[in-house]
Amino acid sequence: MRRQFKDTVTDLAGHDDRVVVILGDISHYLFSAFQEKHPSRFYNMGICENALISVSAGLSAQGFHPFVHTIAPFITERSLEQIKLDMCYNEFGGNILSCGSSFDYAWDGATHHCYGDLAILRLLPGMEVIQPGSRQELDVLLRSQYNNGRPTYFKLSDHPHAIDVDVRFGKGVVIKDAASPLTVVTAGPLLANVLEACKDLSVNVLYFPTIKPIDKELIARYRDTRFLVVHDGFGLREAINEVPGLNTAYHGVPDAFCVWYGTVHDIRREIGLDPAGIHSVVQQAAASRR
Amino acid sequence: MHPDCKKIRHDILIASRASGHGHIPTSFSIVEMLYATYRSMKHDPANPRSPDRDIFILSKGHGALGLYCVLANAGYFPVEEVNTFGAYLSKYGCHPDRRKVPGVEASTGSLGHGIGIAVGMALAFKLQRSPRRVFTLIGDGEANEGSTWEAIMVAVNVGLPNLTILLDFNKSQVRSLQIPNPAERLKAFGCDVHDVGGHDVAELLAALQAPARGVKAIVANTIKGYGCRTMEENIFEWHRKSPDAAQYDALLRELDAEGAAA
Repeated sequence: MRRQFKDTVTDLAGHDDRVVVILGDISHYLFSAFQEKHPSRFYNMGICENALISVSAGLSAQGFHPFVHTIAPFITERSLEQIKLDMCYNEFGGNILSCGSSFDYAWDGATHHCYGDLAILRLLPGMEVIQPGSRQELDVLLRSQYNNGRPTYFKLSDHPHAIDVDVRFGKGVVIKDAASPLTVVTAGPLLANVLEACKDLSVNVLYFPTIKPIDKELIARYRDTRFLVVHDGFGLREAINEVPGLNTAYHGVPDAFCVWYGTVHDIRREIGLDPAGIHSVVQQAAASRR
Repeated sequence: MHPDCKKIRHDILIASRASGHGHIPTSFSIVEMLYATYRSMKHDPANPRSPDRDIFILSKGHGALGLYCVLANAGYFPVEEVNTFGAYLSKYGCHPDRRKVPGVEASTGSLGHGIGIAVGMALAFKLQRSPRRVFTLIGDGEANEGSTWEAIMVAVNVGLPNLTILLDFNKSQVRSLQIPNPAERLKAFGCDVHDVGGHDVAELLAALQAPARGVKAIVANTIKGYGCRTMEENIFEWHRKSPDAAQYDALLRELDAEGAAA
């Protein structure tokens, strides 16, 4: 997905001289062609995430469209107050693109994991929160949002799904409607495992690439069903519950650090987010009564 | 004391007495810095959004009362409006809101933020090849924040001769983490440092107008509460206090006496 980020932003920069890339000393090699083409609009600014956000806010204040990029926990959790005040409160926009997703860096331990970014950023007034699941989704959503003057967060993963979904900002997608009393809800690359798990199960599947603003209209259409949120992070379930009176359950990250190393697939299996684990939870939920 | 700066201190006392809100000593500390900066900047009070204006950001946002009175003195709005300081639905909060107050370029209050925004704006002007300049005022307490030094490192590294950082060195941190030698530290971080008397308008103007050799840092040696001996000697008691009627009269007398002595 990072390659798509580079491709899209390189294309945008060719047409829009207000595009500026700011890296926190990551993905530098990936952007070497961009740097060569637009040396004055490329800054590998340093390992100083607070400054990365504040400087981006200042650039935005004077008409630029910054794309600031580093590992998820450092740019979101460490710099939460900079995002809240310098971007949201000041109404200076900017595009924040993280890498590493929830636990792409499984082997690095919890310092490099980020389960809470979507949940904390959706609390900030004026913030847009996006978790694209595929390269194509990232491309569509970046192009539609990058220059709207609002602070926008994109949670990127190195493990995108390969499912073709027609996405639009702020809209959820009905992946499967089985007229079932159980609706499985997910976001991001995990859609691949959810679909694999649900292929033989008679359940509805909804998909939300935009976490904020959440598509309340779509959720309300399924309000008479039970919701099972299957997600490798926090924030989606909370967003779904903006529609009052829903019956929602959550299957995802436990109240613990996922510190088993290995790969993203190992951690997903450990916490029941591999296709078999999801299948078993969904099957159980479908069988149980309200 | 410069007569305009004395007038601004009068306005600060009046607004604090009228509103019941304080932060007087920190505002008194920065009056000359603000006054000299606005005298050096290209700006137009009649058109606060003029596209070729220079930018000032009060990074230590709790000096808002001082900033409002300096902006009023420059003609941005009538100074009487500032008497609503901190009141319900007033434009003039105890920390400045850029969406409400003409002339305020960034909403600040949490320390170590405004300076980073200032660096971003200066970088924007560099990219635009614009002659516009950015000035930001930080406190020595604010220099406790790591993000302040992140911003300075970035500014020096990307090269921003259009950025001036003014440090209000009023030694307000003596009871916690006082940085004893900010001029040396800023020099070590790569700034072009001017070490000046923070209540001397002529010295401040000379430093502000000196040709830039990189990121300029002006360490203004100031006295918290400068102009009223009671506050100079009791900075912690007065940090965010508003005077009652008797204190107000006494402070005004002290301020006037200070003026006479100068």
